[in-house]
Amino acid sequence: MVVSIKKATDQEKLAAFQNYDAWVFDLDGAPWSHYSNSCRVVRHGYFPRATFRPPGASAPGVIANSLISGIARCAGTIWKGSGLVPGAKEFIELLRSYQKKVFFVTNNATKSRVTNATKLTGLGIAATTAEVYTSSFAAAAYLKTTGFRKKAYVVGEKGLVDELSAAGITCVGGPEHVGKEVDWTEPEPQVEIDPEIGAVVVGLDRYINYYKLQYATTCLVNNSSCMFIACNTDSRGHFSSSQEWAGAGTMVAAIIGSSEREPMLLGKPASFILDHLCATHQISRDKCVVVGDRLDTDILWGNQNGVATCCVLTGVTSEAQLLSPENKVQPKLYVDSLGDFLTVKPLLPTSCTIM
Amino acid sequence: MQVMLRSLPSTRAGARPVRPARKMTPCLAASRSIPRATNEQKIDLLKKVECFIFDCDGVIWLGDKVIEGVPETLDMLRSMGKKVFFVTNNSTKSRAGYMSKFQSLGLDVKAEEIYSSSYAAAAYLESINFQKKVYVIGETGILEELDLKGIRHLGGPSDADKRVTLKSGEFMEHDHGVGAVVVGFDRYINYFKIQYATLCIRENPGCLFIATNRDAVTHLTDAQEWAGNGSMVGAIVGSTKREPIVVGKPSDFMLKNISATLGLRPDQICMVGDRLDTDIMFGKNGGLATSLVLSGVTTEEVLNSPDNKVIPDYVLSKLPDLLTVKESAMVAA
Repeated sequence: MVVSIKKATDQEKLAAFQNYDAWVFDLDGAPWSHYSNSCRVVRHGYFPRATFRPPGASAPGVIANSLISGIARCAGTIWKGSGLVPGAKEFIELLRSYQKKVFFVTNNATKSRVTNATKLTGLGIAATTAEVYTSSFAAAAYLKTTGFRKKAYVVGEKGLVDELSAAGITCVGGPEHVGKEVDWTEPEPQVEIDPEIGAVVVGLDRYINYYKLQYATTCLVNNSSCMFIACNTDSRGHFSSSQEWAGAGTMVAAIIGSSEREPMLLGKPASFILDHLCATHQISRDKCVVVGDRLDTDILWGNQNGVATCCVLTGVTSEAQLLSPENKVQPKLYVDSLGDFLTVKPLLPTSCTIM
Repeated sequence: MQVMLRSLPSTRAGARPVRPARKMTPCLAASRSIPRATNEQKIDLLKKVECFIFDCDGVIWLGDKVIEGVPETLDMLRSMGKKVFFVTNNSTKSRAGYMSKFQSLGLDVKAEEIYSSSYAAAAYLESINFQKKVYVIGETGILEELDLKGIRHLGGPSDADKRVTLKSGEFMEHDHGVGAVVVGFDRYINYFKIQYATLCIRENPGCLFIATNRDAVTHLTDAQEWAGNGSMVGAIVGSTKREPIVVGKPSDFMLKNISATLGLRPDQICMVGDRLDTDIMFGKNGGLATSLVLSGVTTEEVLNSPDNKVIPDYVLSKLPDLLTVKESAMVAA
């Protein structure tokens, strides 16, 4: 039976603020998660037609109405339109001033943590590399925990190779295999693989081709101890401001189809990022809250991994969708916008370290 | 009917390796030993079966060489009035395209006797009176078969060089008249095709998602195994979260289409193949008689292993073994 929840009251927001020591913000929907560097109204005559709705959406929500402008493509937890959600920056600063830890998580494997942190800081939210979690970093971190010493075959883009290399892992493939083809005119065409490959790591790859599929498949099939790592398996993502594009789930499922092996998933909604974050920063699970705008990723992720969840309505999920009887994913609390948490400020005891 | 469905990777909590579950049944007292078909059994087979469906690789030919005795066997069957079909899950060529392979091997066949998965896709669309357009991920074989059925199509090899750059505000248009996406083996798969197919399936109401086959492996050369259409189909399953209608083996569409065309009951048709989990299973699921040949990938050891649950009706070392009863069978016919 679905328990219907109500929007968080000031008391509930205050309780959340006081109780949770680690706030994990969803970064997906950030302007730079698009390949363009800024999020603008689409001006050049491409007007998005009425498109699909997110799975499970039963009523026209935020997306359908905002298709015309494309601005909502940048909508998320921290972003709205071409700027930050009003109050988001201030709330994050408030959290920090009360010694709360803040993290930013994205499933996008194509940009490194450093890039994400730099962009956040540039837009007014100070962030360190260690506070950013990408699914590419998760893959690299996982391999490190296994004491991985071999090479990794990468089906993915530069950001993924960067994170693996930063972890000291030698990579084969990635951008170097863009445009590589099998020569079918040769008498005996073949794809030879590096025998030192001990893992195939897959993230979004706009340059996917048969050569890479064959290379990855051969690594996995010829060597049953070769690991199969998926950064994320999202079926789609907002890679341009006007449309959703096939996501990393495509590349992963392609390799499952030919290798008949199942990957280990590191990004959301697997627990690895939360495990790593809690272990590294000595936070207990019950003191952690995930804040996001997507029920089927962020909120489900937190719920499935024993972490409290807060849904915001500045992104893809509308109140109607959240409260619909068909929705089975319930966050612990929800607010219209991250900025709404600022109402707790006057209710808080004075911080010992005033910023 | 067993259709090889693949679910999306499980979203498991925890960083434990995810391995496919293997059901190992307890080893029975002694492994069995299924004998080769006796002469009586062969005569019986030739008496009751009116149509033989052959998998090609491992049954008719091995790589680029026809198995010795096969042409004579086919002649015998034809002279007995039996119908023959050659089935292949490979969609890259049309039936007419495969003719040249058969002819180069000295096999006299008609295009109508070849049942490729490229043909199966077109035949399926014809069977549902499909009137819209098709977006094709695949090679020329599918396009040629669609042309022969008068079905309009886009995509295919002409999208091989298309690139997605994802510049600021990039938006991919797609044809809203596409009512089906057909995915076949495609050595020129790319992100453009994946995205185009995804848009059609997601946004065109009622758009069908059809796969010629889902074989993980395809045999293009002898030196190594090659990633098969299972990966192209997997890609589209991954982006749409929809499962396809499979028209090739092991789906029974081909069998139903053949038996309907010939007006035969399933038990009057025999599936002859070298793979237990596809050919023989395929035949059994369709209610056909089944005959395993040991001239391809399956060994006697695998057949008799306690882990094997698929028991064919007949076992031959190779198809030309039927020639040993040629005279008796011809007399009886």
